[in-house]
Amino acid sequence: MTTTRETTTIDPRPLPEPDAVSAFFWEGARQQRLMVQRCEACRSMQYPPDVACIRCQSTQLEPTQVSGRGTLYSYAVVDRAYHAGFVDAVPYTVALVELVEQSGLRMITNIVDAEPEQLRVGMDLDVVFERRRGMVLPQFRPVGAAT
Amino acid sequence: MSSLSRDVAIVGVGYSDLSREGAPDSRKLTFVAVSEALADAGLAGSDIDGIFEYKFGPESPGAQEVARLIGSPNLLAFADLMPNNPSGLGGSLAAVMAVASGVCDTVLSYRCLTRAAGYTGGVAAGPDTVGGTWQYLDPYGCVGGILVNMALVKRRWMAEYGRTEEDFGRIAVNARRWSSLNPRAVLRDLITIDDYLESRMIADPLRLLDCDYPINGACATIVTTAERARDLQQVPVIVDSMAYGTGRGVDWTFADDVLYGGAVPCAEKLWERSSYTPTDIDVAQVYDGFTNVTLHWIEALGFCGFGESGDWIGDGSRIGPGGELPLNTAGGQLAEGRLHGVSFLNEAVLQLRGQCDERQVPDAEVAVVASGLYPQCGAMVLTTEL
Repeated sequence: MTTTRETTTIDPRPLPEPDAVSAFFWEGARQQRLMVQRCEACRSMQYPPDVACIRCQSTQLEPTQVSGRGTLYSYAVVDRAYHAGFVDAVPYTVALVELVEQSGLRMITNIVDAEPEQLRVGMDLDVVFERRRGMVLPQFRPVGAAT
Repeated sequence: MSSLSRDVAIVGVGYSDLSREGAPDSRKLTFVAVSEALADAGLAGSDIDGIFEYKFGPESPGAQEVARLIGSPNLLAFADLMPNNPSGLGGSLAAVMAVASGVCDTVLSYRCLTRAAGYTGGVAAGPDTVGGTWQYLDPYGCVGGILVNMALVKRRWMAEYGRTEEDFGRIAVNARRWSSLNPRAVLRDLITIDDYLESRMIADPLRLLDCDYPINGACATIVTTAERARDLQQVPVIVDSMAYGTGRGVDWTFADDVLYGGAVPCAEKLWERSSYTPTDIDVAQVYDGFTNVTLHWIEALGFCGFGESGDWIGDGSRIGPGGELPLNTAGGQLAEGRLHGVSFLNEAVLQLRGQCDERQVPDAEVAVVASGLYPQCGAMVLTTEL
């Protein structure tokens, strides 16, 4: 969970544009902490962050660190670029990861440090943080994968 | 008596030429399809008092441009529906509501698509930074419209139910069996399961032959009151029931139910409102923008249980010509060409009227049409009886 992956400073893949709602998430990533919102009223967690709890509509949402452990809900291997920023990134794996903290709490991420043929739906994953041009993005890799 | 406050009938359907090549003028395509639909109904542009169309952007003329073009004296309701709708069927669903409510008497809906607007392959210059919901998607390469999402859904469904890609392939093969009988279809060569399994990956496990085919074309539909329909020239096709659905946590990626989204609540409401049940259906026209969409609709509509569509379809004869539930009898968007749902409605109407020539389903009296997918679902049950 404390590993930082370095990528080249000219990595052309797009960067997130933090806003008032998402700033805590990207700032957390910068500090190598995976963050979600937790509702103070109903205690459910949500991702992506939003202006209210989508379960109970409370606006009392607290940034909360989660363990960074999850399972592979599904994945796709993309071997052609559908965006100019990914021409040099193919093939890459887009995954929907379900965090262990709550059923249905899912994030889109890439699977790193693994070949596609090693992947299985349901396998255990850990977060890893990737530096990309001044930002840090949470990514996931199979538990036990070498850096 | 149907469940609507005023009974509504579909009285006109029209198509432009559908083509794979060239860049025809979208206003011309739309005008041809709309004129055909009016002629089919025996109506004039001056009879139209409502227009709803579905669009991505500037690829098709808007409702007001078409009102001007066809000489509508005044629109009592109109909208250009942006892509958050049950695909192009959204226009017809809105049209039915406008007539059922009494706001309008005779309403036109249409969808016009061009290859240029519909083609998502290749490298698009993308923004360097992304905000909004895209900040959680694009930096990870979850780009290219919904291609990656469809790949995620396809793999999850296979894993969850222990199924293989052959299930999806049966939908692709079925489309060509029907399109070979449809002179309007752009892809008419038969394919086999092996052709499907050998087709290239778009985003593994999503294959080329899982995806519908972009064309130039337009498709139009006219609805009016059942009462007025009796005086028009075609056998009225009655809207027995209709429903929309989004599911909870509405989103393509982060929905509560990633596999079925709004299809399940949409189908539940559709049957609850209908005088019919799935066993009464003679012919089904079910969205096939991607083969997974069709499988998931078949299950959501209750033709079989969840995860069972592959076994239910079997070798494909059940949904093919002469089968017990003929499915996508024009070849669907996979083979007739992508017209965003409107063509499913029109094909259902033509089947119920008995006007489908070589691909006619004998004695078709009740049809179901399901359009869109995941967070944007819509469906209708249609019949010739009232």
